[in-house]
Amino acid sequence: MNPEPEPLLSRLPEIVRGPVAEAIRDASWIKVRRALAAFELCAPTEQGPEVSIQILASFELESIAPALCLGLRCIPARAGLRIAPLNTIEQELLEPSSPVYAQPGLATVILWRADELLADQLYPSSASQAVGGVRQLLARIESMVERYLAASSVPLLLGTVPLPAALGGAPLGSRPRPAVARAIAALNAGLFDLAARSKQVHVLDVNWWAAQEGRAHYDLQMDFLAKQPFTVAAALSLGFFLARHLRPLIVPRRKVLAVDLDNTLWGGILGEDGIGQLKLGHDFPGSVYLRIQRELRELKAQGVLLILASKNDEASARQAFEQLPNMLLRWDDFVVRRVNFEPKYLNLRAAAAELGLGLDSFTFLDDSDFEREQMRTFNPEVLVLNERGHALHLLSGLLRTDAFDIHHLTEEDRIRHRDYELRAARSLPAESNLPAFLASLDLRAVLEPVQEGNFDRVVQMLGKTNQFNLTTRRHHLDEVKRLMAIPGAVGLTLRLVDKFGDQGIVAVLLAVPEGSPDSLAVDSFLVSCRALSRGAEEVLWAELANRAAAAGVRRIRAQYLATAKNGLVARLYDRLGLKRTAETSAGADYVLEPVQPSAFPGWISVEGNAP
Amino acid sequence: MNESDALRDLLVEFFQLPPGTAASALTQASVAAWDSLAMVQLITELQSAFGVEFELEEIERLTSYAEIRAALARRNIPL
Repeated sequence: MNPEPEPLLSRLPEIVRGPVAEAIRDASWIKVRRALAAFELCAPTEQGPEVSIQILASFELESIAPALCLGLRCIPARAGLRIAPLNTIEQELLEPSSPVYAQPGLATVILWRADELLADQLYPSSASQAVGGVRQLLARIESMVERYLAASSVPLLLGTVPLPAALGGAPLGSRPRPAVARAIAALNAGLFDLAARSKQVHVLDVNWWAAQEGRAHYDLQMDFLAKQPFTVAAALSLGFFLARHLRPLIVPRRKVLAVDLDNTLWGGILGEDGIGQLKLGHDFPGSVYLRIQRELRELKAQGVLLILASKNDEASARQAFEQLPNMLLRWDDFVVRRVNFEPKYLNLRAAAAELGLGLDSFTFLDDSDFEREQMRTFNPEVLVLNERGHALHLLSGLLRTDAFDIHHLTEEDRIRHRDYELRAARSLPAESNLPAFLASLDLRAVLEPVQEGNFDRVVQMLGKTNQFNLTTRRHHLDEVKRLMAIPGAVGLTLRLVDKFGDQGIVAVLLAVPEGSPDSLAVDSFLVSCRALSRGAEEVLWAELANRAAAAGVRRIRAQYLATAKNGLVARLYDRLGLKRTAETSAGADYVLEPVQPSAFPGWISVEGNAP
Repeated sequence: MNESDALRDLLVEFFQLPPGTAASALTQASVAAWDSLAMVQLITELQSAFGVEFELEEIERLTSYAEIRAALARRNIPL
């Protein structure tokens, strides 16, 4: 069975997909260069953001840099690599003035190699020597990482150590090889533990990657010529592996997976075969569908919203959920169920409107060539996960996709599903009884400064909020910290609680002094689309005005910067009572002067506000 | 000079030289980009393109079109 293609490749513009595929097929440096050149012909918007990556390694990676770059370009990102001199990992991390700290990039990547790291242990005269060496080494690495975390807020991708190919195949009897394998396993386990202690550290499991690549990744001649053992094919694969781990730092994950029923969650067609004939269970082929359900349930647990999009009679579909043996998924596991005979692209549009999400956060899994093609044509923003309809392709599409990649789940990710389930109950009735309805929700807004503990959520929201976002500034962590360190800066988060539960942080406002201390400028103002029309924006704005007035601020400036998606808030500042001072097609400038204390909406109780 | 010279074409594209560059101008001394880093990639490229494996002693000497051509000729590789 042919696997689904590399997920990064399937999204590339036409003019680079061919050259990249050729570079991979022929594993040729000339082809790699041609593919890199092809990216230059793409429109700037198709090339992705400009980012820089710092790589510290005990492999000499300069000679494979173009292959690594190609992987990163496929994110897509205009990635610049800075590769530190060979074997300077420790110096770079410990020296405060090193380029790692002086020129921080999007991420810092560390790639270790056993031949350097464990030089003494690779040829130990006793097994205890090998294991003892690992303990010391881990302690050293731990202090390097601690130093890094104290000096930088840039994410650290910490590589595991691949078992050297020349040792990996040694038979158990040929001691001391097993001691070496055990030492490397212990080292890698220690690296995982180390990474688990900080949200800023992510494991790059190079050992897993090398195992997948197998013996073919290792080239003895290269190792001696270039101080790195990778074949061209392996170098390209390593580039894609690295890209997959950097991508979540650039591209927000997709939030929704819409799935079909027949020949997707079970084998067979409900409307024709009847419940008794459907295939789902522990024997082939029902086992494939069971596994698909298991993967979907796992995704749900990771905060992906599941939607049913099936052309079936709803009552029969419900009955199948209740009566078909071995069903892992429940009817209620799906936040929206569109089981009808409407075109699926319309059903997904309706679901998007219902959830308050853009179609560009949707993915789609369906066995029907027709449905996938129609979806691609009419809703091109939706990412189709499988290329073909066979059940194994559905499964491999799910297993291989990078659409849901994320380094660390936040509390909001974990509760998202329940939150959207309750949305139906929360959804707003007709305009006339709106205040009464809002009052009936027992809304509570909890304000907190932007600070350690909520930085992750703030950066996440800055990165992915599209609709209610006045300036769409995608600040990274460093920038948020820098802004908040400016004397007089105001950073506020708002956590919304109602009678259904806690929705977590759903709104953020950042303002910094400009020119003089009595003038504030709003840098960012955004509200999650699942908290619209509850009063979050009024509360945040009133709190800003109150704090500013108390601090002697006389003027607040604010801007609306138009994007393709934020038309919703084009008139927000007019509604909040600011004066419009300039307007173009790119947006509008506003000012509030003088700044006076203002009241919170009557239907919402506020905690954490300034006295 | 053979017009369809696969080795010359490979070197010209590899070092991103003007298409008409003469084979005699393809030496490490006269091609600025032909440094030790490029050398490593070039060996891989040549071995893969012509299906050969160079000897260790040979690799050090592969610093011009003529040397590479001679090394390939020793293996009866037609150009």
